[in-house]
Amino acid sequence: MLIAIIAALVALVLTAAAVVIVLNMVRKNRSESVGVKKSAATIDSVGVKSTLSDYMPKHANHGTAASSSSQPVTVPADVLRPRFLAMGALVAGVFATLLAKLWSMQILAGSKYASESEENRYSVVSTPAPRGYVYDADGLALVKNRSSLTVLADPDVADNRDVLLRLSTVLGVPYNVVRQRVKDASSGAQSQRVVASDARMRDVAFISEHADAFPGVTVETRAVRDYPYGALAAHALGYTGSVSEDELGNMAAGRDIELGDDVGKSGVESTYDNLIAGDHGQRKVMADSKGNVVEVVSETQPTRGSDVYLCIKGPVQYAADKALAELIAPDDGVIGSGAGTAGAVVVLDIADGGIVAMSSYPTFAPSTFTGGIPQEVWDLYNTEESHYPLMNRAISGSYPAASTYKAFTSMAALEYGFATDTSTWTCTGSWDGWNTGQPQMCWEHSGHGTLDLYGGIVNSCDVVFYEIAKAFWDNQETVGETALQDYLRKFRFGEYTGIDLSGEAQGRIPTPEWKAEHFADYPEEAVWKGGDMTNMIIGQGYVLTTPLQIACAYAAIATGTMMKPHLLKEVRNASGEVVLSFEPEVLTEIDVNTDDLALVRRSLRGVATDNSYIAKVLNDYGIQAACKTGTAEVAGKEDYAWFAMYAPYDDPKYVVACIVEEGGGGSDTAMPLGAAVMNAVLAYDRGELDEMGRIAGSTGKSVEPAAHVSSGRTD
Amino acid sequence: MAALPQIDTIKTPDAAVVQAARNARRARFNVPFVVVVALLVSYGLLIVYSAVRVDADYSFTRQLAGVAIGLVAMLLVWRFDYRKLSDFVTLFLIINVVLILSPHLPVIGVEAKGAQSWIKIGMQIQPGEFAKVTVVLLDAAVMARYGGRLDDPREYCRALGIMLVPFACIMTQPDLGTGLVYLFIAAVALVMGGARPKYLLITLAAFVAAVALVFAVDEVIKAQTGEYKLLQQYQRNRLLVFINDDYDPTGEGYNLNQAKIAIGSGGLFGQGLFKGTQHALGILPEAPTDFIFCVLAEELGFVGVVVLLALYAALILICFNIARSSNDLFGMLIVMCVVGMWLFQILENIGMDCGLMPITGIPLPFMSYGSSFMVVNFIMLGMIGSVWSHNNASLGKRG
Repeated sequence: MLIAIIAALVALVLTAAAVVIVLNMVRKNRSESVGVKKSAATIDSVGVKSTLSDYMPKHANHGTAASSSSQPVTVPADVLRPRFLAMGALVAGVFATLLAKLWSMQILAGSKYASESEENRYSVVSTPAPRGYVYDADGLALVKNRSSLTVLADPDVADNRDVLLRLSTVLGVPYNVVRQRVKDASSGAQSQRVVASDARMRDVAFISEHADAFPGVTVETRAVRDYPYGALAAHALGYTGSVSEDELGNMAAGRDIELGDDVGKSGVESTYDNLIAGDHGQRKVMADSKGNVVEVVSETQPTRGSDVYLCIKGPVQYAADKALAELIAPDDGVIGSGAGTAGAVVVLDIADGGIVAMSSYPTFAPSTFTGGIPQEVWDLYNTEESHYPLMNRAISGSYPAASTYKAFTSMAALEYGFATDTSTWTCTGSWDGWNTGQPQMCWEHSGHGTLDLYGGIVNSCDVVFYEIAKAFWDNQETVGETALQDYLRKFRFGEYTGIDLSGEAQGRIPTPEWKAEHFADYPEEAVWKGGDMTNMIIGQGYVLTTPLQIACAYAAIATGTMMKPHLLKEVRNASGEVVLSFEPEVLTEIDVNTDDLALVRRSLRGVATDNSYIAKVLNDYGIQAACKTGTAEVAGKEDYAWFAMYAPYDDPKYVVACIVEEGGGGSDTAMPLGAAVMNAVLAYDRGELDEMGRIAGSTGKSVEPAAHVSSGRTD
Repeated sequence: MAALPQIDTIKTPDAAVVQAARNARRARFNVPFVVVVALLVSYGLLIVYSAVRVDADYSFTRQLAGVAIGLVAMLLVWRFDYRKLSDFVTLFLIINVVLILSPHLPVIGVEAKGAQSWIKIGMQIQPGEFAKVTVVLLDAAVMARYGGRLDDPREYCRALGIMLVPFACIMTQPDLGTGLVYLFIAAVALVMGGARPKYLLITLAAFVAAVALVFAVDEVIKAQTGEYKLLQQYQRNRLLVFINDDYDPTGEGYNLNQAKIAIGSGGLFGQGLFKGTQHALGILPEAPTDFIFCVLAEELGFVGVVVLLALYAALILICFNIARSSNDLFGMLIVMCVVGMWLFQILENIGMDCGLMPITGIPLPFMSYGSSFMVVNFIMLGMIGSVWSHNNASLGKRG
């Protein structure tokens, strides 16, 4: 203000001086012009005294003119007076126009321009908010943040060979890779491209010191996700990445997000992105045209996102991840060096549906996605050879349920009276109830002899269930064509469980209607046959389930109540207050006869106690369990090994369901895995387990599994 | 001085003679003229200092050196009797042609921004700027020969033809901005030299027709070859920006838009000296040279603008009086041509900043950064001073 006043005063003084000078000149000029006019009018007269000065120049001029040129005697201004006036008018016009325009701009429209200038001067820069942490049920951090030096380049650096070469040399990244990263527009066309994450301090220092040699290159300290346990629970936790323009358009209202921000792409990072993501801080800065911040005017700090607590129990998850990895790829992470090619384990808390552990193999390290997954890794993870590590087999893998289904189909048989606790069947190792001449085999080719339902379940005798299927088929007039399927639906097979993860598979209960539709183009195939019933009743044929569905269904057997499975336990805000906690939700109360349920439970308990190998394994752990194995036959592949169990038998707390693709027999491969994981969760509850460690991501390598001497199914 | 009567030197000085001598000393410098020029140059240096202090590409010392060289040049020219130059039409023509065409020479010629406008002898200079001096002298000398009355059509055409030569030369560089300054100087010379109004109007009409023809022919060329040849694309863009206020505000219209914001945001009193942000933050490009007026308007506001225009008006008024009191046509024409040149550059430079004129790179007299033009302006001042001295000084001595 002081300066403005001084400027105004100076302006006034200067203007006054100018006006005085001009007035002076005008007065003098007037007297002169009057004189000139007069003398011109009376060119020959000497004139009065006052015109003496006018006379003299004429005379002098005459003198010089005479000696140098033939100029006329008259003063030029005299003859050309109208032209002087015209010039004067032009000058006046120019100045008046300029003044009028400047008046309108500075005084009339001044505030409009002032606000535009303000906009020019200040820009508001968002500072990204750190995402919240992800903890296990007991407060062990599974996902944290750390700061990372990130080298960024403007998109047009891609055309600057010199800069790319320098970056390549300094960062030690091949030229073509640097160029590819700068050209990669996945984070948005305008946004800066990540050249290197986690750059070394001295490389960054070199780039900063030689900024002139790196036009368009900047270095930022970014908060990136940190995974203390590597690939532990990778599928459940998910990964983050820069938000794409598509995602930006589909964001929920109220989500404070900008291009360049990280967003959850899968797992709970994606499901609870809204909560985990924080609110941007804002810095109002004065920046020059090159974007250099001259002054920070004001600043609000970003708010860190809320922390998410999961039902997962870290050490149990670790045990499950480790057991799977050691089973399938014991040698350097090469799939095929152990048993099976892939697998999944789900541990479910029966009381509230909480997922205590969720493991899928092969797995990946979510940190691979920090700063963008390298193209070659992405390509590798999408090959058959790598067995698709990004797939969460626990919820997205659809498999024939195999003999684990028998627990539910026998419930149906009891419900409809096609089996009672006293009914018996005779197994000779093969069965040709449909009189096709091509008998269906029991897995035990030598036959089980005479069995009741308990024996049928304990020995997993197929022939017993073929007979039951035939009973359903023969009585469809009375019980209905889809009585078995309708009953299975009580256990919510063929339906989403609604777990708080995306990518869940629905599974399938085959029905005549489904088959007609599915094979609409092949009318002979589309007919519902008795064979479909015998396949379905042992969980083969067109039956598809996910490991999570099996886990939930066994939980329902164990207690009669199926809880909605969920990963989230609670959400706490940055100050540690619980802002959201998961309310247990009953999916279904199984509406069945309690005697029938008791019989099936007893039979599943029999599986654990009457089969010597299973009994030995469980006894070694000291686990009182009810369980069922399964061996799924998949065309063109080795058998898939299933195992489902709940324990303790008297007071069921947890269900473990696991599958090992191409793992062979359920009791050989899957049962020991499931038993080990069940032991882990029970031990954890007793306070006897706290081992944690890093889980390695997939190497993407695999070899053909060692040739199994296929002995057929062994469950 | 050559005409001083012998008798003066032997006569005993009486009171009148003493008074005359005092007048003569005072007459060596026209006081209001010198004061206004001093204020104007100081004002310009202050604003240039504000503009260059944040930009390492410019040096305030260079600008001061320009003023110093200019002062010396002005004093030398001031002492020189301009009347000796009135007969050298052919010489000025040759000097003009050589100067303006010199950037085409192989060794010293320098091409920049798509124009062959610079030469490098030790330092880089723009001969087209210095040629403004000889253009003024040429045009004044041509018209002075007609004694304030040019009625003969053949003579008119001849004079016009001679005066168009510098324009034709500068268009080979090409430099339309400077060419327009030459044309305006020629126009002032024609008007003030007493050319018949009818001829002037015909010339004006022909000029407008020629401009229209250039555009028309360019369209034809484009239809034939697919691109404009006569007018460069940047010139077309500037015209588009000028005609349409909102044309491409981040691209071609960016400079104009930012210039207007700088001026407008100055308001009545401005942001304060050295407090302008438009240029200091690098938002307004070319601030010390082409857009120096915006720096002034932003920092000192409407008040500062009025002061500048008042100083210009005072200078022009003083020059008008010097021209009117000149006893010979040549001197009067020199002064008026210089005034015309300033007027055109003021109009064009300030006019383009506030969107009244298309954008061209014409500097603002005494304000813009650039030592070539500063020296040229001081030479012009020296010429005006010479006209004044060699009319009024002789008057004093006579008395």
